[in-house]
Amino acid sequence: MTVTSETQQDDTRQGWRLLRLALGQQRGGLAIGVVVGLFWAVGKVSVPQLTKMGIDRGIEGSGNLFFWAGLVVAAGVIAGLFTAMRRWYAFRESRWIETRLREQIFSHLLKLHVGYHDKMQTGQLMSRASSDLQQLQAFVVMIPITLSNLAMLIAVVALLIVSQPMLAMFALAPLPIVNVMASRFSRQIHPAVLAVQQEQAQLATVVEESVSGVRVIKGFGAEQVQARKLKTEADDIWNVSLVAAKIRSKFLPALDLLPSIGLIAVLGIGGHRVINGQMTVGDLVKFNAYITMLIWPLRNLAMTVALAQRASVALIRVDEVLSTPSLVIDPLSPTSLPTPTDDRPVGEVIFDDTVFAYEGASPIINHFSVTIQPGQAIALVGATGSGKSTVVRLLTRFHDVQQGSIRLDGIDVRQLTLNDLRTAVGIVFEETFLFHDSVADNIAFSRPDATAEVIERAARLAGAHDFIMELPDGYQTILGERGYSLSGGQRQRIAIARAIVSDPRVLVLDDATSAVDPSKEHEIREAMATVMKGRTTIVIAHRPGTIALADTVILLDEGRAVAVGTHEGLLASNERYRQVLAAWEVRESDGDDDEVTH
Amino acid sequence: MWGLSAVSEEDRLDRVQTLKVLRRAYSMARSQRRLILSSLAFVLVGTLVTLAGPTLVRFAIDNGIKVKDGSALNRVVVLYVIVTVIGYISGRLQYITINRAGEGFLRELRINVFDKLQKQSMSYFDREKAGVLVSRMTADIESMAELIQFGLLQFVSAFLLLCLATILLFVMSWQLSLVALLVLPVLIIASIRFQRTSNHAYLDVREKVGNNLSTLQEGITGVRVIQAYGQETNRSERFRQSNRALFDSHMYSVKISTWYFGLVEFAGIAATGAIIGFGGWLVHRGSVSIGTVTAFVLLLANLFDPVQQLSQLYNTVQSSTAALHKLIGIIDAVPDVAEVDEPTQLPERGAIVVDNVTFGYAGSERPALSDVSISVADGERLALVGPTGAGKSTLAKLMARLYDPSTVNGIAGSVSFGGVDLRLASMADLRRRIIVVPQEGFCFGGTIRENIRIARPEATDAEVEQALQSIGALHRFTDFAEGLETEVRERGSRLSAGERQLIALARAALVDPAVLVLDEATSNLDPGTEAVVEHALETLMTGRTVIVVAHRLTTVRRADRIGVIDHGSLVELGSHDELVALGGRYAALADAWQRSQPSH
Repeated sequence: MTVTSETQQDDTRQGWRLLRLALGQQRGGLAIGVVVGLFWAVGKVSVPQLTKMGIDRGIEGSGNLFFWAGLVVAAGVIAGLFTAMRRWYAFRESRWIETRLREQIFSHLLKLHVGYHDKMQTGQLMSRASSDLQQLQAFVVMIPITLSNLAMLIAVVALLIVSQPMLAMFALAPLPIVNVMASRFSRQIHPAVLAVQQEQAQLATVVEESVSGVRVIKGFGAEQVQARKLKTEADDIWNVSLVAAKIRSKFLPALDLLPSIGLIAVLGIGGHRVINGQMTVGDLVKFNAYITMLIWPLRNLAMTVALAQRASVALIRVDEVLSTPSLVIDPLSPTSLPTPTDDRPVGEVIFDDTVFAYEGASPIINHFSVTIQPGQAIALVGATGSGKSTVVRLLTRFHDVQQGSIRLDGIDVRQLTLNDLRTAVGIVFEETFLFHDSVADNIAFSRPDATAEVIERAARLAGAHDFIMELPDGYQTILGERGYSLSGGQRQRIAIARAIVSDPRVLVLDDATSAVDPSKEHEIREAMATVMKGRTTIVIAHRPGTIALADTVILLDEGRAVAVGTHEGLLASNERYRQVLAAWEVRESDGDDDEVTH
Repeated sequence: MWGLSAVSEEDRLDRVQTLKVLRRAYSMARSQRRLILSSLAFVLVGTLVTLAGPTLVRFAIDNGIKVKDGSALNRVVVLYVIVTVIGYISGRLQYITINRAGEGFLRELRINVFDKLQKQSMSYFDREKAGVLVSRMTADIESMAELIQFGLLQFVSAFLLLCLATILLFVMSWQLSLVALLVLPVLIIASIRFQRTSNHAYLDVREKVGNNLSTLQEGITGVRVIQAYGQETNRSERFRQSNRALFDSHMYSVKISTWYFGLVEFAGIAATGAIIGFGGWLVHRGSVSIGTVTAFVLLLANLFDPVQQLSQLYNTVQSSTAALHKLIGIIDAVPDVAEVDEPTQLPERGAIVVDNVTFGYAGSERPALSDVSISVADGERLALVGPTGAGKSTLAKLMARLYDPSTVNGIAGSVSFGGVDLRLASMADLRRRIIVVPQEGFCFGGTIRENIRIARPEATDAEVEQALQSIGALHRFTDFAEGLETEVRERGSRLSAGERQLIALARAALVDPAVLVLDEATSNLDPGTEAVVEHALETLMTGRTVIVVAHRLTTVRRADRIGVIDHGSLVELGSHDELVALGGRYAALADAWQRSQPSH
């Protein structure tokens, strides 16, 4: 127990420290916001005082009525002007903090090693950069507003006490309770609101599974079962919503009631003092106005405290991301790759006794050694889990080997800058990731400055030019999740064109044809053969036709190269090789999909 | 706070539609009527209490303080206390009643909409996007919840307050009222303009937020490609652009609200100044009392706040009525596979006869099936084969009445079981005789036991186990640490594909139907599981009429007859040997299958 509370305390302290740091970087803008807010407070505070003067001197007395009325209007100009400015600065600074940190998170995430991304869920990382930052923004925007409200509060209390100490005591007495109640309210309503959201999410799950599982439901006539589940969830929402409503009903009317007690005290006590000549009608109005004026700032104050707590917790989560160092980084003094010359071709890859295990697992690469000559094409063949894809991930330093080394043209990959290494090694992944960009931009992904000619040449080589020309906007057609969707084969051809543009000295084709209909595979294969020409290539494959693209086949089993040879040679001599290929074949013996294509 | 609810142009309803939706909402809320009326009564009481404060102060000043009558002042103070207490009580009751009414309404709405959704036929679900249906039940209903929790009350009370305050001001002094109301039109015009521009600004923010989130997600999910091609800096720059666009959009909406809130603040104080100036002049002329001027100063806030609130709530109300309009669309949709009022009892067993059936999917010009007739004897095993999109799954689904035959030229074909047209039977009866086992082995959240029991909710634990036992899969699941109580997690992610298929088959075994309609799985299982599933399937099929949409030669070979479907027609029908001898399409298909088998 003590341990938890201590770590909690540490967390809290850490949260506040981070908050101070984040705010410190924007102290200029925030300071302007606060100063502007102080001017607003001056205008605002002067209104009831001027109103009192107007009533006492202008109406009840013989002073110049219109002078005082004019001053009230002038105070209105000041209050109006500065409340607008306060709002502007408050929002500008808070949005700016949010914007700035979001960019930091994004660029940091892109630099973090792949192992980190393997471990984290996309949704979690997304909420670091969205909802957590919104919590921070919601607090920061309140800073200038709350500080100037606080200044107004102090000024008003001082003014009241100076002018009528007794009355001020009675009138102000209920107000601290407003503050206490408001903070208790936000403490209690927050979990209730979260509970409602949680129940809503559960109902959404039932709806979602009922819609996607509609075949099962219709097939078994199970509508009633789902209807009962939904009813349970709807009842749950009803329950927790009413709990939240009860909390609101407990606090909100009471928060309205409390200031009224102050107002009644002003009328009761103040009224008699006016009758006794100890104060004026103007004072009465002034007190009334001031007390009404304090209600919102007091409620706000409590809300801001709650917001600050939430913001610091959110910031801890954000900091967890930002303070995670990338485990795969550039060397301090990088070496550069040798430039190709006529007598020395480049693209030699050596895996030297490499060992690698994913976190908490036994080694998936186990003393793997292989030498690939410049311009040689090798095929990696192995069962699922044999480590084929990991080999490639090690070559591009998605992960670093734990033993042994990988050398590219004689240089340890860890001695190269990541940029040099990854420019030298190009990968065509099993599944092509298309960005929400034009076809041309997707092809020119590695070289955004590539000319239209370069892009088109790459597309032609990859056999993609013809279908691209048939797209609605040709090379300018927008792809990606929200854009035009392509077939598996088309996507793969875009990926190959992408690799051609990047012109790497080592090309990796990671199961690049698996997403392609077998009957179309030969077309992709031709494109692949074009790109491979004269280039060191590692092909991960299991279809004989694709394996045939390589000169040498390496059979991988439990992270080791267990056999090396030609496809025919291994087929004839190696039982394990035959087994692995047969297993793949069984998996693919079926290709027909369900229909309903209309 | 609720400023961010904006409604897009295509969602916006016109006045006639809005009124229609509101009238409909009122009739839907019939069961809550008493609560609604009492909450309205409490709102009215609350409004009167709010206005009572300044009125009482006015009375105290004019009839107590100015005439130095201490006891009159005391009486007013006591009255003030009473009124305040009443206000507090009615405030509490107001929250409770409006929330009870609102949440009760939403609860019924959720249940009703879902029931209506489930009554829709398969073709409805083929047609509508899953995401849209889910968002009807979630986002749309939640947007109404927001209105009920925050908006509805404020809307009514702001409106009441505005009307009653105006009346009260006129009763107290018409001259001063005119001064106060001079400011009001400025405020109203500014509010309406603000409401319009802010709606656009919020829509823009919403769009930019969406874009920014997509770019963010794209970066995170595409991180491997980005790193592989060394594009980190470039992508960060791209994200910066979309992020800055969002910032600018935020700032634009702040800019709009900034001048508006400044103006509102100024107008409120300026009106106070005007009341003091003009009111004082009237006091000097003896036409109003000092108490009245005070009351006016105090009441001004009650005039200004409602105008602001109403303009801000306008967007919330609009987006909620738009959401309700869509929900009513679902409630009113007539299911195209409907039940008859007096169903005919289906016999225990019998032949399935498809007679001259044509079927087209909504929105598709070419029918998926045309003029198909076929009869499957009791206990017969029929395999349907054919190219993708030929209509074999559609035919299978029609045999289980997932769809009804289309009517062409006033004539619709029929599907009957044991001589009874499926359209004349009740769905419950039908699902005891004919079961469709979908290929994918879909699992719902919950335990393994619950997942099996979905097929027959009243089945006992023993019956569930018996069903698993009958297909030889009981041990597979009882071997789990938590046995049949194992939570399958989202979409059954805890289970392997083979285990999910076994659950699908156990469901069918639990129902013990006369007819099984199977859509054969195309997904691949590891060889061990494959054998277990094969065995379970074979046991399940024994002794039943089976219609299987087949993808494998082995399955087809085990069928009594094979129907070849092409372009929506039954082109060949017969046993394997007959069709091979015929040398038509099936012969070609069987040959292709033969060749693609792994050579041993």
